[in-house]
Amino acid sequence: MNVKEYISSGILEAYLLDEVTPQERMEVLRMTQLHPELKRELDRTETTLKSFAMKASVSPRKELKNMIMAKAEQALNGARSSKLIRLNPLPFWKYAAAASVVVALGTSYLAFNYRQQWKEANVALTDLIARNQRVAQNYNVVNQKLEKIQDDFSIIESSAFKKVVMKGTAGEPNALASVYWNATTEEVFLSIQNLKAISADNQFQLWAIVDGKPVDAGVFDTGFPGLLKMKSIKGATAFAVTIEPRGGRTAPTLATMQVVGTAG
Amino acid sequence: MTRLKRKESAALDYLYDHYSGALNGIVFRIVRDEDVAEEILQDVFLRIWDKIGNYDSSKGKLFTWMLNVARNLAIDKVRSKEITKAKKTDDIDNLVHKIDRQESGELAVDTIGLTEVLERLPNEQKFVVEYLYLKGYTQTELAEEFKIPLGTVKTRLRLAMIELRSILNVA
Repeated sequence: MNVKEYISSGILEAYLLDEVTPQERMEVLRMTQLHPELKRELDRTETTLKSFAMKASVSPRKELKNMIMAKAEQALNGARSSKLIRLNPLPFWKYAAAASVVVALGTSYLAFNYRQQWKEANVALTDLIARNQRVAQNYNVVNQKLEKIQDDFSIIESSAFKKVVMKGTAGEPNALASVYWNATTEEVFLSIQNLKAISADNQFQLWAIVDGKPVDAGVFDTGFPGLLKMKSIKGATAFAVTIEPRGGRTAPTLATMQVVGTAG
Repeated sequence: MTRLKRKESAALDYLYDHYSGALNGIVFRIVRDEDVAEEILQDVFLRIWDKIGNYDSSKGKLFTWMLNVARNLAIDKVRSKEITKAKKTDDIDNLVHKIDRQESGELAVDTIGLTEVLERLPNEQKFVVEYLYLKGYTQTELAEEFKIPLGTVKTRLRLAMIELRSILNVA
């Protein structure tokens, strides 16, 4: 049989999906032993299938692992205790022994049964504890979001913060962003209304004009909720945003300026 | 492997940490329900734990064996619930988006990569990969339902595997 043709029929893929007849399975096993190249091809196809499945991963909930481990342990203990029951001694005095065996079996069964129930309760408890932790985590996340909204709101509302609207430059008439700047504490917060999407290699950079010179106020990516705290700035007369290589630069690339606004 | 056969729980622990995501990914896409998927995943790992003695390493890699245990259990479940094919044939993109949307909730997902991988396949290859690996169709079912000769289904999957090999950088 021509190995190349055999491979291109797709038989290896069908074999890996466990969708071959018993005869075909035997044939694949025999052929892979005869032809090392076929074995290599099978191995490579298996590796590809595995990489693909890894790509398609969806993590299960964290607590599932504990439940499975507990059940596996339980299955193992179950197998051991059923062996013990079978090892009970055979009756010597017919009646008395028979009765004692019945009692022993009954007791073993009850003990086993209670142990199972206890284990199940334990698994359920672990599950509940895990769920409880998850609820607590969710609560914390929501709480942090709420605090962030309250903080942002207090900045927007505060008279100590000056709102500097940065309007789009000639090349980007629709771009719009704002800075909330506290001249006393020198704090700077950024809010984006509209900035275009840029490639992952680049980042936006905020500049403040201080004494006529541009000063770096930090780099940022779009997509954050509410306000973003930037570097503190003293004595700014204007703010502007440019596009720079990821990580930012020490001097602005004026050609990529997106928005600008005076703080006067 | 020897540790797994001796039934040391550390070995099961290892398998779970490495492969629960991949197996759940397949099962979840087939059954379309998080709770059902987890139920099946429990069965999968307990079956691996139980039947590990039957696993024959000369007949294939452990992962392939586990994947088929998971896929078969998921397919059995879908059939037993008599979930209609109509539900099965939902567009895979919707499903991927659905999973993505759940990301912030309960599932940590790595599907961005998957969508890209699928997009790089020619359409007819993408189709067989989706239906066979992600939707739980058997090759025969796919051939019958879409009136494609079984041989064509097989060769398309073969060509897709060659493409996937280079997309996924498999040596």
